[in-house]
Amino acid sequence: MPLLVATALTKDYPMNGEVVHALRGVSLTVAPGDYVAIVGPSGCGKSTLLQLLGGIDTPSAGSVALEGTRLETLGDSALTRLRLTRLGFVFQRFHLLPVLSAAENVELPMAEAGLPRDARRARARELLRYVGLEGRAGHRATQLSGGEMQRVAIARALANRPALLLADEPTGELDAATGRGILDLFRRLNDDGATIVVVTHDDRLAGEAGRVIHMLDGHIVDETRGAGR
Amino acid sequence: MLLPTTTLLLLTLAGVPVQAAPQAATPALPIALERRLAERLGARVGDTLAVGREAGAPEGRAVVTAIYEPAADPSVITRRDLHARFHLPDFTALLGAPDRVDRFGVGLAPGVPPDSAARELNRIAFGFQASPSAEIASESSQTFRVVSRFHDAIAIISVVASAIFLLCIMLLKVEERRRDAAVMRFTGIRRRTIFAALLLEAVLVAALGSAMGVGLALVAGAATNAYYQRFFDTTLIFSAVTPGILRFSVLLSLGLGLGAGALAAWRLVRTRPLVLWGRE
Repeated sequence: MPLLVATALTKDYPMNGEVVHALRGVSLTVAPGDYVAIVGPSGCGKSTLLQLLGGIDTPSAGSVALEGTRLETLGDSALTRLRLTRLGFVFQRFHLLPVLSAAENVELPMAEAGLPRDARRARARELLRYVGLEGRAGHRATQLSGGEMQRVAIARALANRPALLLADEPTGELDAATGRGILDLFRRLNDDGATIVVVTHDDRLAGEAGRVIHMLDGHIVDETRGAGR
Repeated sequence: MLLPTTTLLLLTLAGVPVQAAPQAATPALPIALERRLAERLGARVGDTLAVGREAGAPEGRAVVTAIYEPAADPSVITRRDLHARFHLPDFTALLGAPDRVDRFGVGLAPGVPPDSAARELNRIAFGFQASPSAEIASESSQTFRVVSRFHDAIAIISVVASAIFLLCIMLLKVEERRRDAAVMRFTGIRRRTIFAALLLEAVLVAALGSAMGVGLALVAGAATNAYYQRFFDTTLIFSAVTPGILRFSVLLSLGLGLGAGALAAWRLVRTRPLVLWGRE
């Protein structure tokens, strides 16, 4: 059974009195354990597609089903809950809460999900160890480097054991060496069973994926195999 | 209701010039000097002063039997009068007008209503007017009431301006969190959690502001009192930060902070995450 099924997605935006067609009938299926990279030039609809897949935005037409649940049938509360428990998001600019420590940033989604304090602390420690930041748990986000912040953001995305990890340009703000570390981390996550969909301009990151989906002008124009699963 | 002959009358020194005098054989009148006057004359208890109706024309001697701190009275503070007290018979004898006084106070027996006593006195009065002390105090306080109303008006304007300023600050602070709020919504954090977090922050900021405001008020009040007490050489309290004022100020501050925070937070969480994110 596919984990994610997107069917004939279209997304239109009104802009300055005109309609911008960001997506024009995109269909996509993601199986559990897939590592999918979505690539294409700026403005081709990559990020819009990711937002629709993650239930952040609603399509103008078409549907998205995660684990058999059609997102468009869910109300705001149910969709929020689904994003909390079944999806993990990684953003280009990390977006950690600066007043919280690394561990507290990781704990936040678990606290929201109602996990007991001891359990979420143990899970946060485990995740920070996984991303190589065991010794930085008590540091505030502002005290971390870009690469470290992105690792914390990845740990935060994994906090509630999501079915699908969605990442939007996760190496876009990082230098080559630091980005390499994030690539390795995504590779390791996928090897450990995580399902990942990543939007990227980074050829190295796309090359790590098992499937590389090429987009242009709101269409999927090609799909190729990468080095990964 | 009789005039007690031992009553000490408060009299301005202008009519009774005093100056230090050498000891003489004639009995000296007892006199009590206000502290400021004593300091100006360099007089101490036991010193003998020459006293008279006109400056430079001593008519008798007085020995300082007491130096007292006068009751602080805001209605006379700017007049800078200096006072001395005689026993009434001594004073009237000194003036040479035993049947003339400017003012005198009458002590009432417990339970006697001042209004009816004043009415009774006025009914038989010849050459004087009796007034209840509360009425005199009320009349002499008119200026302060007007000033107090000005203070109230200034306070209200300050509070309203502060509230608007606070609201603007809170809105701006919350605006800075647009992307954070969007990310939190994307990652499944509920609106009410974000609202509660922002509200909690607003309360903490308001509480901190209240504490700082109280501290500033206490320091500013102490500085004001120190300056004006020294300037006027008085024990008057010019700035009083009472528990009631503190309670009102803290509650007002917390209420305004809470209200402004709630409004700003509500505005933020009602906005669609993608709008907060800046795509729309």
